[in-house]
Amino acid sequence: MRRVVALMAVMAISIAACGDDDGGNGLEIGDPWARTSAAVQNAGAAYMTISAGDTADTLIGVSVDSSVAGMAELHESTMGDDGMMAMSMVPSIPVPANGSVSLEPGGYHVMLMNLAGPLVAGEEFEITLQFENAGEMTVTVESREG
Amino acid sequence: MYAVLALALVAGACAGGEEPGALAGIVREPYPDVSAVALPDATLGGESFTTTAREGGLLMVYFGYASCPDICPTTLADLRRAMQQIGEDAGRIDVVMVTVDPFRDTPEILASYIQAFFPHGHALVTDDQALLDQAAQAFGAAYEVRQTADGEIEVAHTALLSVVDSSGRILVQWPFGMSVEDMQSDIEFLFDRGV
Repeated sequence: MRRVVALMAVMAISIAACGDDDGGNGLEIGDPWARTSAAVQNAGAAYMTISAGDTADTLIGVSVDSSVAGMAELHESTMGDDGMMAMSMVPSIPVPANGSVSLEPGGYHVMLMNLAGPLVAGEEFEITLQFENAGEMTVTVESREG
Repeated sequence: MYAVLALALVAGACAGGEEPGALAGIVREPYPDVSAVALPDATLGGESFTTTAREGGLLMVYFGYASCPDICPTTLADLRRAMQQIGEDAGRIDVVMVTVDPFRDTPEILASYIQAFFPHGHALVTDDQALLDQAAQAFGAAYEVRQTADGEIEVAHTALLSVVDSSGRILVQWPFGMSVEDMQSDIEFLFDRGV
């Protein structure tokens, strides 16, 4: 899985490099996806790679339409010294200049709370990311079995 | 107990993986015995389920909770993919999820949750704290459910997937992040060895 994530990161960086469209904010969002959810599941997670150009930026918030979920938050899963995995809200996620940050299983992710309905494979929805410098960016997220 | 587990994890990480053909996951020796663990199975109308595999099969046991958006679905989806890649032999594998959050996970919720991943999956739910703790301890699984100041429930848990044989021995445990390929090769290794 790690290899796939690494590959996706490389792909995302390559795409960002090819794009080289300085008319925008220099940020590129690679492969936004969410895991499909069971009907009874009230929370879901979305993942992506965020790459920055010459200017570093910081992801400071995320929102989602209530037709998808009641609320979206930036979260991080971490493993404690005791070997237990825990998850907590984070206020922001830094995106380094000329680098990228991965939102991936077991790490940073967008947590979707109070899902309005199950996330179904192949269906898409939008989330809006808020960056400190670049402002708002809306991305289309595809639901997959993962 | 956490310290013991952490040591076991470190020892496992150092010992495993090096030898070709060995298991990729953590092997604890002597094999922990979980044949005495029995909890109510929501998919069997509350009938007690004992954590032993069928003869010639393997039982995958996971301690988690249904409102876990990241860790649990990742591990369960990876296991599902590993089983898809194994093909026919996957029919000898049963999957069990034990909730560490029985106050939010009703039997109906957990049954529906695990069966979204595995149509024949088992959902073990008990509100008997002592019974759950006993079971968790047998598996070396630790968990903590607490409420934050603003009323949110936070759950921390050892995201281990345990592979159990028909006599109730844990043959190998996979920590979070074990790749689909490693899960698949461990399962194939165990079946080749005759489980």
